[in-house]
Amino acid sequence: MASPAPASESPRAVANKSSKRSLLAAIRMALRIESPAVRHNTQTFNRNRYAATAALPDYNELKDRARAIKESSIANLPDLITTLEASVKRNGGHFYLAPDAQDATRYIADVCTRAGVRLVVKGKSMTSEEVGLNHVLQGRGIEVAETDLAEFILQVADEQPSHIIAPAIHYSRERITALFKSRFKTDLPLDTGEELTRFAREHLRQKFLAADAGISGANLIAADSGSIVLVESEGNIRLTTLLPPLHIAIAGVEKIIPSRTDFGPFLELLAASGTGQKLSSYTSIITPPLHAASVLTKDGAPVPQREFHLVLVDNGRMKMRQDPVLHEALYCIRCSACLNSCANFQTVGGHAFGGETYSGGIGGSWEAGTRALEAARFNELCTGCSRCVSQCPVRIDIPFLNSTLRQRLNQRDAGKISQLFSTALADDGDIAPLQKLFFGRYDAVGKWGSLLAPLSNWINAIPLTRFAMEKFVGLDRRRELSPFAKPTLVEAARNGVGRVSDPKAKVILFADIFTNYGSPARGLATLKVLQSLGIDVAVSETSADGRAALSQGLIATAAEQARRTAELLRRYIVEGRDVVVIEPSVLAMFRLDYHRLLTTSDGQLLFELLRNHSFDAVEYLWMFIQGTGLEPAKLFPASRHPLGKRLFYHSHCQQKTIGSAPATEALLLAAGFEVATSRVECCGMAGSFGYKKEYYDLSMAVGQDLFKQVAESEADGPRVLVASGTSCHEQLQAGLKRQVFYPTELLDNILQTG
Amino acid sequence: MSLVDAFEQSATAAAATVERVARTSEDIAAAVARIAPQGPVAVADPLYLPATLFDACRRLPHAFTVRTRKAMDDCVVGITDAFAGIARTGSICVCIDHQDSGTVSLLSRFHIAVLPVENIVERPSDLFRPDRLKGDGLRRNFVFITGPSATADMGPLVRGVHGPHRLHILVV
Repeated sequence: MASPAPASESPRAVANKSSKRSLLAAIRMALRIESPAVRHNTQTFNRNRYAATAALPDYNELKDRARAIKESSIANLPDLITTLEASVKRNGGHFYLAPDAQDATRYIADVCTRAGVRLVVKGKSMTSEEVGLNHVLQGRGIEVAETDLAEFILQVADEQPSHIIAPAIHYSRERITALFKSRFKTDLPLDTGEELTRFAREHLRQKFLAADAGISGANLIAADSGSIVLVESEGNIRLTTLLPPLHIAIAGVEKIIPSRTDFGPFLELLAASGTGQKLSSYTSIITPPLHAASVLTKDGAPVPQREFHLVLVDNGRMKMRQDPVLHEALYCIRCSACLNSCANFQTVGGHAFGGETYSGGIGGSWEAGTRALEAARFNELCTGCSRCVSQCPVRIDIPFLNSTLRQRLNQRDAGKISQLFSTALADDGDIAPLQKLFFGRYDAVGKWGSLLAPLSNWINAIPLTRFAMEKFVGLDRRRELSPFAKPTLVEAARNGVGRVSDPKAKVILFADIFTNYGSPARGLATLKVLQSLGIDVAVSETSADGRAALSQGLIATAAEQARRTAELLRRYIVEGRDVVVIEPSVLAMFRLDYHRLLTTSDGQLLFELLRNHSFDAVEYLWMFIQGTGLEPAKLFPASRHPLGKRLFYHSHCQQKTIGSAPATEALLLAAGFEVATSRVECCGMAGSFGYKKEYYDLSMAVGQDLFKQVAESEADGPRVLVASGTSCHEQLQAGLKRQVFYPTELLDNILQTG
Repeated sequence: MSLVDAFEQSATAAAATVERVARTSEDIAAAVARIAPQGPVAVADPLYLPATLFDACRRLPHAFTVRTRKAMDDCVVGITDAFAGIARTGSICVCIDHQDSGTVSLLSRFHIAVLPVENIVERPSDLFRPDRLKGDGLRRNFVFITGPSATADMGPLVRGVHGPHRLHILVV
């Protein structure tokens, strides 16, 4: 336990992940050393957040208000800065706007030097981490004591934060004990959380009582009054701002909102979304300089006038504000919901899924904005699963920010060979490395694969082919490839599928590329089940929806595919047909992403039309059955299913986000199945992510939670595995070596027995 | 549920303890004497309640008023008033403009807060409305205190870090 990790595996050594090689080293390090603690702690946060947000009576209204306040604040930021400067000066404080990290640290070091500061106590501040403040102060001979217990651990260990609100989340109690014992050479017992906390408190109390200056961050700043909000649970920030005669607050410019009357919506939202509490132990609302605490001079003499400096940091933020996409990251209130709800983050934490300062899904935009685009390379670990989208208290579309970063990195990374392919495979402006093109254009791969099947499948089965695919496009050879379908869904539907006379409803079944080329059986099953209820079903031509391209950062290609697909489906919708979608990631495109991709005014109308008329296949069935008063238990009696009525259902990540998952569970239950469900955010495959050679191990590590839940549900006997997403099927099959069914396949099986 | 009942339920859920006491100096001191552990008692002058209401507390054994850093560091019990209570979260709001409330509510190991029942509001956002609590939430330096100080940074949840390990609220 206490044996130190080899140097190449220390978090410091892998902090800079601007090359792919260093990113992969960080993932290996995290999987080997940090994964158990990160998994346990983030999943606890995650459960607590779900409970806390569900208990907030006006959660969605609070989110809307918080988003609106942040939008207008960032839009009016220059004016707010001017107002705030006047407020701080009126209160008797000093105001400083630092253009970059170097200038911010120089200013703070100068203030400390002028005041003769020898010891600084610090509350947790990510902005101070970003600008590298401690290093600069120590260079001036000033001792810096981090007083947040997690930051204290990191200071002792010389590591960078791995989480934006719980910086030492990767440390288990056992590792902290080992660390303290080796660094402090103490005989005190340090084997429980209580003992460790007591030890740290005694150590830090001496620092607090002797400190000459306190440096804090700020969660929010009100321009009209100069008031700041500080959220914490330990009490160290209160001591930092209350005891020393000099207080310096450092914060990014994006923390300013117009007025103290705007604080309201943020407090409960931040606590619920972050630690999953109603409020953290201490939420301070202060307008420094504080005039209190004269009792607490070192020697009992009255404190002279207290001094306060507000140091606002630009460091790239004003440029981010002008960025057509990345400006959205400035709305972030640093709650960490996007970290805790992310399956990849839960598995490796922020030392792998993070940059030098900022981590998780939102971290890429922050590293790109405050450091450099290359520093955001870890955004590759965002699979676009979208679980964070509905969890973000200010509704930031984090996957789209990451697709945009990927697009920009693609343009930097593209080689000469792939540029040739780009001309053939991607639309104007999309240049990318070969791997991105391969996965981003599954529509072309699938089309040729199916045309050439079974030849293409024979070729794929040859080890040499898999070796070449691994080498040239990075497709991991341990992954099984679904054979290219022959016939495809469209071809099969053309041949001999009967029409319904006097239909009760009319739908268009969208032949998405994943179903069409990869698994037409689930398409045909859906078709038959719909028809069995008297629904007229037309099957569309196949059309790339843009999901694969978007996930690889081929945004121009995705936008063009979105336009073509939406126009194709519009023709059916105006005929009075609703769109039935099999692959959940495609439905999520229609309901969420097309908003971003169909940008013209006609495109926005098209988006609205498609969003309002598209349904998950089982969601549509469930609505139809409820609307017509049919009884699922009679239509699809589970007792007649050949494999029994016990099943395990895993809903797809994007299906959860767009709210189409509960219908499947409801229908299966109503049919009489005994349903156990997964509780993971994502299976780990996440589209093409788990196919990639470099992410195979991570993908399988993420999958362990799901595989374990299946095993637990089968303690009293086996269950049929059911999943809604294509990639979830692949992952479950890879992990459990068993057949996995799409929900309508079960229903179709029952119809066959009748 | 009344605001005070909801407050008591939420505060208890946040690991504070709540007791309803008559609004007299003697009743408050008696409640303190019943629950407080042995040790120096720091009494901060109340800001919202009449100063005389803490008179009996100031006469308790070990009560002290001279506050050097050393004395505060050794203090076991701290008594302050709270100018607001929040029903939904079980928080109390302690004003820290005032000379001692900020440090007494933080450096004592056992914090006892005296909260006037009529100042319980529903949500934290009520503190930022000019029409509630006479707009004091918009003017004051204060802290929402929700249960004792706590950390999960050392592994399991530990109560009592830099701040008190116990919070007892006397609703008067």
